[in-house]
Amino acid sequence: MAMRGLTVFIADIRNCRVRELEEKRINKEMANIRTKFKDGNLSGYDKKKYVCKLLYMYILGWDIDFGHMEAVNLISSPKYSEKQIGYLGITLLMHENSDLVRLVVNSIRKDLDDNNEIHNCLALHAIANIGGREMAESLASDVHRLLVSPNSKSFVKKKAALTMLRLFRKHPDVIPAPDWAERITNIIDDYDLGVCLSVTSLITALAQQYPEAFMLAIPKAIMRLHKVIVERDFSADYVYYKIPIPWLQVKLLRLLQYFPPTEDPNMSEMLHNVLQTIINNSQETPRNVQHNNAQNAILFEAINLAIHLDCESDIVRQATNILARFILSKETNVRYLGLETMAHLAAVTDELDEIKKHEETIILSLRDKDISVRRRGLDLLYSMCDVSNAKTIVSELIRYLHIADYALREEMVLKIAIMTEKYATEHSWYVDVILQLISSAGDHVGEEVWYRVVQIVTNHENLQEYSAKMVLHYMRSPHCHENMLKVGGYILGEYGHLIANLPGASPIEQFNTLHARFGLCSLATRALLLSTYIKFINLFPEIKGAILAVFNQYRHVLDAELQQRACEYMAIATMPTDDLLQTVCEEMPQFPERESALLSRLNEKTGQTEDKRTWNIGGKDSNEKTPANLLAATKERNENGSVDDLVNSVSNTSISAAGGENGAAASANGSAVPPTPAAPAAKAGLTWKDQLAPGYENWYNRLRDGADGILYEDSILQIGIKSEYHGHLGRLAIYFGNKTHTQLNSFAVSVEAPEGLVVANSHTLATSIGPSTQIQQLYSLECQQIVTEVPLIRISYQAGSTQSIYLKLPVLMSRFIEPIQLSSADFFGRWKQIGGAPREVQEIIKVPGKIELERARSILVNHRLGICENVDPKPGNFVATGVFNTSLSGKVGCLLRLEPNHETNMYRLTIRTTSDVVSKHLKEILHTALLYRPTPSTR
Amino acid sequence: MPINYVLLVSRQGKTRLAKWFTTLSPKEKSKIVKDVTQLVLARRTKMCNFLEYKDTKVIYRRYASLYFITGVSPEDNELLTLEIIHRYVEVLDRYFGNVSELDLIFNFERAYYILDELLLAGEMQESSKTAPLKAIQDHDAIEMEEANEEKNK
Repeated sequence: MAMRGLTVFIADIRNCRVRELEEKRINKEMANIRTKFKDGNLSGYDKKKYVCKLLYMYILGWDIDFGHMEAVNLISSPKYSEKQIGYLGITLLMHENSDLVRLVVNSIRKDLDDNNEIHNCLALHAIANIGGREMAESLASDVHRLLVSPNSKSFVKKKAALTMLRLFRKHPDVIPAPDWAERITNIIDDYDLGVCLSVTSLITALAQQYPEAFMLAIPKAIMRLHKVIVERDFSADYVYYKIPIPWLQVKLLRLLQYFPPTEDPNMSEMLHNVLQTIINNSQETPRNVQHNNAQNAILFEAINLAIHLDCESDIVRQATNILARFILSKETNVRYLGLETMAHLAAVTDELDEIKKHEETIILSLRDKDISVRRRGLDLLYSMCDVSNAKTIVSELIRYLHIADYALREEMVLKIAIMTEKYATEHSWYVDVILQLISSAGDHVGEEVWYRVVQIVTNHENLQEYSAKMVLHYMRSPHCHENMLKVGGYILGEYGHLIANLPGASPIEQFNTLHARFGLCSLATRALLLSTYIKFINLFPEIKGAILAVFNQYRHVLDAELQQRACEYMAIATMPTDDLLQTVCEEMPQFPERESALLSRLNEKTGQTEDKRTWNIGGKDSNEKTPANLLAATKERNENGSVDDLVNSVSNTSISAAGGENGAAASANGSAVPPTPAAPAAKAGLTWKDQLAPGYENWYNRLRDGADGILYEDSILQIGIKSEYHGHLGRLAIYFGNKTHTQLNSFAVSVEAPEGLVVANSHTLATSIGPSTQIQQLYSLECQQIVTEVPLIRISYQAGSTQSIYLKLPVLMSRFIEPIQLSSADFFGRWKQIGGAPREVQEIIKVPGKIELERARSILVNHRLGICENVDPKPGNFVATGVFNTSLSGKVGCLLRLEPNHETNMYRLTIRTTSDVVSKHLKEILHTALLYRPTPSTR
Repeated sequence: MPINYVLLVSRQGKTRLAKWFTTLSPKEKSKIVKDVTQLVLARRTKMCNFLEYKDTKVIYRRYASLYFITGVSPEDNELLTLEIIHRYVEVLDRYFGNVSELDLIFNFERAYYILDELLLAGEMQESSKTAPLKAIQDHDAIEMEEANEEKNK
């Protein structure tokens, strides 16, 4: 509601033609408000009015040092309009470290807990705007509650997500993000696109910090993109100039760039579809600026993602053509972005040819009338530089350096220096370019640049004579820069003798060239030159006289550093023998190889921003440390279980190949017992195994022998499996039945397979199950190596809160055995061949109750062993054989004998296989099976 | 990809609105306002809408006598930030009915309120035009009601 007093005040201020009048009016008003506040007893309306006036003055740039308390009081007013102005007041006047924050935390908490959503929103806005540590610590969990509670309205959720984001950015340590990861990620599925947008922003920030915990966001983001872009499922409200919610599209495309490419073939196909559709859509001629911008914004982000996924893909090729058109565009914005995106491509790809075709256009962009475009052109040239085009690019840049903006020059010099060093094929070229650089842009040459020249010349003997010659030449030009003098002083002092016989480079001429400018340089340079002179005395005793005169003169200067040097050098030079002089002036040793200080300087310049960059300007090598790449690298390591792949693979082969001691050594090495894959299990420090659903064994044990049936059941969900196996391959169908009368949302299934077993899903699972409906998921299995663990499965869905169920899948090693029949002679022949321990294992098993031969027989058959009749002379004894198949580690022959003893109700089980690991594990499987008695209640 | 600040600056260089999403001292703020205003006012019409200022990117667009300026991190999607500005102008336009600089001067708290509905913590909160409008209309309705109650007392 309009406040008359405020309007009049604003009008007054506007009528002040000069600043003095404004100041007078302001001071009058401030005095007035101050007395009003001091008197107290103001009505809510008056308080509101005066706070508003203060805020207006604040916006005009006047310092406001009172009125904070009044704003704080307004917050707890029961009237919305007063409360709102109070909140506006504190968000404008307070900052996160303000002492007053403590006073408002309680009021804010009260408003967060209020049943009135509008009050919730005001409170969330305040936290999002101020958001200090105090607030983060005391209010983060309330914000989280509003975000994930199923009772929260969409408009509250949106604000809660972004408020959380603000708190996380400021104080990441206060937010237990990994614990909240799952519930937060599930919100990507929210039907409200606004909620989805906000939560995607939140996840983008969290996932950079905790990529592993937010892996689930990958399929969710892809599916949401697919839904919006390919299926065109969105509410009309969110269409922005014919484009459905471009902000969400861009956010999701960006989010995926923080993860390594998905390995799930279905997902990557879906994503491919999405990207292709975006590229196709971009061919549409836009109606107006807004449509055009939104369309291009998505296109550029999609290209960035495509480059991230695979910079040699067909999509990237199409994109390169589009970019080539863009950099010629009449629209400045498009030219700018075209160059920027091309620089991204150039920074990661090996295939620069496509981009090099446009070299001319790009060089021309250095002469664009807009400095923003010129900058992008420079970045691109830097990124696309390689050995083949370095000379052209560097010479263009040097030419351009003379007319470049001052703001750009330092960066250019740095980049030229780096490119020259990196791509030089001839040493002389390097020296030429750098000296030219120093002579023409001396003011913009940082210390690092000339240090680096000295380092390189010192370390490359074949450069020394040439650079001494050249530097002398440059120092004779009338506009020699002081930086050139520094390089010259150092190089001539070290290598001046190499050119002393050339015409015009005699010792005295070298000295005169340097000393001609001595008086004009800074103290630091003069100090450096004094050191050069003492070296000269060592190199060229013939000019000692001239130099001693200089030292003598400088023994009396005011500057302590120069004076000390002059005195000490004088003393050394006038000693009776040259021993000390020679020792002191010994030739400099080579510098140890180290990373170029130039690169670190450049990286420093790109600096830290809030979001991590998904790529860096520069060649491929500057991009190995982007977040997604780092994650991929750690993941690879984790999957291998041990950092040293080589050791691992060697010990793997030795398991099946050799027996005896070798095998034992291998198992000690850790690879015989497959390490629990650390990648997904690292979440929250708990492995999946620790979280298995209570009572899962009841169902699991019944399915161990390969039967089809129920794997799990509770009041909401029933899970059943069916399977078939052939050799090292298998197929597994899992059925999920929703027993309730409501839809189960955010349904997700993931599998954690042990090393050596590949479990792939053949199609993408639905994300929800309708009421009383059953859905099916098919998996294909491939046994690549000897596997002693079973895969684990994790099912999660939303029912009020997120429910997760962890189960074991009954994919035992014995599933991959094929039964065979052997004759008596064959059997015993191989039995002997395999021999005793460790490839033989034996165990006496006492069964509860009577021995049932039929049961024993069916156990062997169910574990896919072929029973060889009439091999064992004693009837009732079993002899069984099979071949365990793997696709990578070959086959393992399995032989076993099972001898029942009816009197004692005991079995003697002897297993011999060609691998001690298989022997041991098969024994365990059969042991468990023989002991297993299904409890009647579960039958 | 947060927006660091939103500035509304008149052609004469007067700040009409300043919203900060990062914590800065008043001194730093006024330095940024001064520098960025100067940079933007000096740009010519045909130039692109982006420029660099220190470690940030400045994205701006001019509407009649007002410059709408945002400071974002260099990673941000430039074109979409431009369209955030446009959406803000659209909502202002719909709410005030052909918005002018004067509307924003006299109803500055409304301008802030609408901005809060669009952007929170420097991120796009709501991209539909209707939702922020509805929020502010609800807000007006409550205020009206409260004012009437006051009168009837």
